[in-house]
Amino acid sequence: MTALIRRKAAADKSRDEIPPGTLYLLILKTLAARGRLHGYEIAEAILSCSDEVLQVEEGSLYPALQRMLIQGWATAEWGVTAGNRRARYYTLTLAGKRQLGLEISQFERVMGAIVRVLETA
Amino acid sequence: MSLSGELKRRLQMLFHRGRFQSDLDEEMRLHVDLRREQQMAAGADAETARRAALKRFGNPTRLREESQRAWGWEWLETLLQDAGYGLRFMARTPGVTAIALLSLALGIGANTAIFSFLNAVMLRSLPVKNPQQLVKLGVGDSAGITDSFASTDLYSYPFYREFRRRNAVFSDTAATFSMTNSVHGFVDEQSEPQPLQVQTVSGNFFQTLGVGAQRGRVLDDADDSSEGDHPVVVISDRFWKRDLGGDPGVLHHTLRLGDVVYQIVGVAPPEFFGTVVGELPDAWAPLSMAGVIPPHWGADKNDFSESLYIIGRLKPGVSVTQATADTNVLFKAILLSFPDARLSKDNLADLNHAHVQLESMERGLSDLRSEYSEPLKILMGIVALVLLIACANIANLLLARSTARARELAVRQALGAGRMRIIRQLLTESLLLAIAGGALGIAFAAGANRVLLRMISQGRQTIPLDVSVNPRLLAFTCAVTVGTALLFGTLPALRATRLQLTENLKSGRGGSAGSRRTPLARILVVAQVAISLLLTVGACLFQRTLINLSHVSTGFNPDHVLTLRIDSDAKGFKDKDPRETALFKEIEARVEALPGVQAASFSAFRFEEGSWNTSMRVPDRQLSRDVNVKHNIIGNDYLRVMQIPLIEGRTFGAQDTGTSQRVAIISEQMARDLFPAGSVIGRTYTIGSADDGDTPVQIQVIGVARDVKFGGLTEPVQYIDYMPYTQREWGFGDFEVRYSGDLGAVSKEVQDAIRSIDPTLPISDVETLGEQVARSYTNETLIAELSAFFALVAVFLSCIGIYGVMSYLVGRRTGEIGIRMALGARRSAVAWQVMREIAMLVAAGIAIGLPAALAGGRLTGKLLYGVSGTDPVSLAAGVAILIAAGLLAGYLPARRASRIDPLTALRYE
Repeated sequence: MTALIRRKAAADKSRDEIPPGTLYLLILKTLAARGRLHGYEIAEAILSCSDEVLQVEEGSLYPALQRMLIQGWATAEWGVTAGNRRARYYTLTLAGKRQLGLEISQFERVMGAIVRVLETA
Repeated sequence: MSLSGELKRRLQMLFHRGRFQSDLDEEMRLHVDLRREQQMAAGADAETARRAALKRFGNPTRLREESQRAWGWEWLETLLQDAGYGLRFMARTPGVTAIALLSLALGIGANTAIFSFLNAVMLRSLPVKNPQQLVKLGVGDSAGITDSFASTDLYSYPFYREFRRRNAVFSDTAATFSMTNSVHGFVDEQSEPQPLQVQTVSGNFFQTLGVGAQRGRVLDDADDSSEGDHPVVVISDRFWKRDLGGDPGVLHHTLRLGDVVYQIVGVAPPEFFGTVVGELPDAWAPLSMAGVIPPHWGADKNDFSESLYIIGRLKPGVSVTQATADTNVLFKAILLSFPDARLSKDNLADLNHAHVQLESMERGLSDLRSEYSEPLKILMGIVALVLLIACANIANLLLARSTARARELAVRQALGAGRMRIIRQLLTESLLLAIAGGALGIAFAAGANRVLLRMISQGRQTIPLDVSVNPRLLAFTCAVTVGTALLFGTLPALRATRLQLTENLKSGRGGSAGSRRTPLARILVVAQVAISLLLTVGACLFQRTLINLSHVSTGFNPDHVLTLRIDSDAKGFKDKDPRETALFKEIEARVEALPGVQAASFSAFRFEEGSWNTSMRVPDRQLSRDVNVKHNIIGNDYLRVMQIPLIEGRTFGAQDTGTSQRVAIISEQMARDLFPAGSVIGRTYTIGSADDGDTPVQIQVIGVARDVKFGGLTEPVQYIDYMPYTQREWGFGDFEVRYSGDLGAVSKEVQDAIRSIDPTLPISDVETLGEQVARSYTNETLIAELSAFFALVAVFLSCIGIYGVMSYLVGRRTGEIGIRMALGARRSAVAWQVMREIAMLVAAGIAIGLPAALAGGRLTGKLLYGVSGTDPVSLAAGVAILIAAGLLAGYLPARRASRIDPLTALRYE
């Protein structure tokens, strides 16, 4: 039996994959800025905020959200969308806000280092 | 806090994983729907929009799995899956499962049982506060104590008081009497005497140990402040529950010991058993009362009596070295400061040599420990080997099974199951088997423990030893179980997944290469045979030891002697009361008059009951103080009862009275060594010396008796003398009756006769001298019986191993055998071929096992008697047993091989 699963979809040229490890940062920041959101809204928010540059493989939000629930960074509750559909809304907790601070400072440290390397070259 | 919160959320997800799953699905569905609607709103047609939405979302199955992994319960789900699968598989092969479970239960159970003893006797700490701070002064065992001036093991009461007051290294020190008083006591006004163990202790005993009372109070310093006027006892939990029915008003009850009535002031905690492992006093009384509690041990509180153990609790931060130094300085200073110290040259030399060592009391004192630690270690080794054999067996069974499953596993691998996944599944199955076996093993161990405890106690009251399951034991069993699973599960698992797929897919039964592909199975069988040989040889050695011991000549005739104990102290006689001697005389006369009784006599000792020994002086001879003679105080007919031949002279008679010349009968060896020239009759010697604070007594020899064993069967010849109780008072216990005819009838008549003289005399320990002698090698009996049992188990398991492997091989080689037979091989030749293979395996096992057995024999040397660890008879017997067992186990597969029908066999090919 031959495998008929294509391993990787060709990347969309006009959009860039997000740097690894920053998915939590993006979700945390988005929730912090916009408050109560469901999964689709989070994906849309990340896309629009980044002027459509950052593309999240949209499904990968969900494992990340599950982990955030377990870590206690966010809570979830069911609500109704504008289109009158049932959706799960996520809200940041205090621990989530603390985590956001950590993630931002870590990201800035790494980014700063990379920028310094680029400038000296 | 955050961690526990996280755990809580994870557990919620585990228990509601159905809901969490459907929530996630709904959420993801919504996302894709919204994306599709967005695309359609942007102008795409329905199909394009759907595809775009799905593409941007990613692979939903993978994402769902990833989310589940986030919950952290994936392992549990696969585990349950594997376990379910394993259970189904076990149920499908009930025979193999039963054998595996049985051998595991036996292996783990035996290990658990022996370990629980090892733990109780050797490892467990005393149930007191900070037991690691406790030390005892002196390390000698009680058997090695002589009447030296400066004993470093036993101390006097005045020494203890001084030591407690003056030392700077212990936060407190307590003293306990070195022996427990076996007395008969009366609860309240009851007339029925209760046999009791009473321990006399210093007032601060409980405080020093840090033990409180569960009811009432414990003893305190005030109870031990002045001599003889503090009749109070603390009773044990067992006594309270057994004899007082756990009465909450226990403090209103009294206990009469001898002629003093004691107030019960408290009940010790249930787990507290004092300081000696394997003993449980019924009551603790203050040392101030030692003089009036029968048998009046410890009444003598002079500066140099040697009767107390001293226990100290180290001050925090004080090291044992520091405490030892301080103790030794103080030891000498105190002894020298006593005004009645007799500082003769010998005594000063004693003092100079004396060095007090401190022994940890963390695990308490125990005679059991010195007696049983060696046998227990050997037994632990034996059962560990049995477990190893059981593991090898199971590994073999699983190996054969996994080979039979090769095709199934190959199919699973071909369908994409990872190697790790299959190994994990096989390991889960092993673990399942091991856990089931472990659970059975614990049940088995609980039963085995009771049997073992009875075996050790041998007719006496069951030794109060807590061998119940405890955390340490559970940890041990779990470790054994898991270790077992890994041991026998890993090999088959690794092997099963290394197979070439294509070949196994082609045919369930391989070609003729079967024999070459099972080296592991063969190695396991060889190992089993080797270990079995080790155990069989060991069992033979222990059996021979037992036989040797049972044939040791005791010097007396232990058959047809009824023995019992009479506690005359319960009558409250004072020392040297003439009524006591009269009572003994009357009992002896009345019992000897009974039909079926040849002779009856009291004695201070009988066999293996300890001793009273002193050094002695002989006129015109310089004897070392180390020459000790053991004294026995007896009735006139003792030698006749025991049938100890009198070689020379006469026995005691009516002429030997309290006022006549002190006389003694001495043992043959003593006569030969200490009175070498001429006849010994009429010669004299002296026991007791002013140096030790005793009145010297000059004794005249009137007879010589054949040497007997006194303290044990394996002891060297002892110097023994016998003195009549008319001249030397003794609060007797032992009473011996030589009888003929039915033991039961005689026993009843003897007891009735004693009761008719005095109905209140407590009679106990009614048994025979033969039983008492047999008890002296309980240890060896225990080891012989258990090692024989385990050797049988080992051989049996090895047989199953050989049978299993050979059956399997014959099965795999059906085709080859069929061809041979079709080509004209005779049935006997085929059978011989199989047998030859078995013989090779057994021979290899024996070749490995023999050197191991030789080495092992050396380890057991201390427990053997009259046989060396390299005894050729035992080695030969072991080898013969294994060859016979191996051939027996191989017979069935060989016969099956010889009955293969070539036509049927070849049809498979």
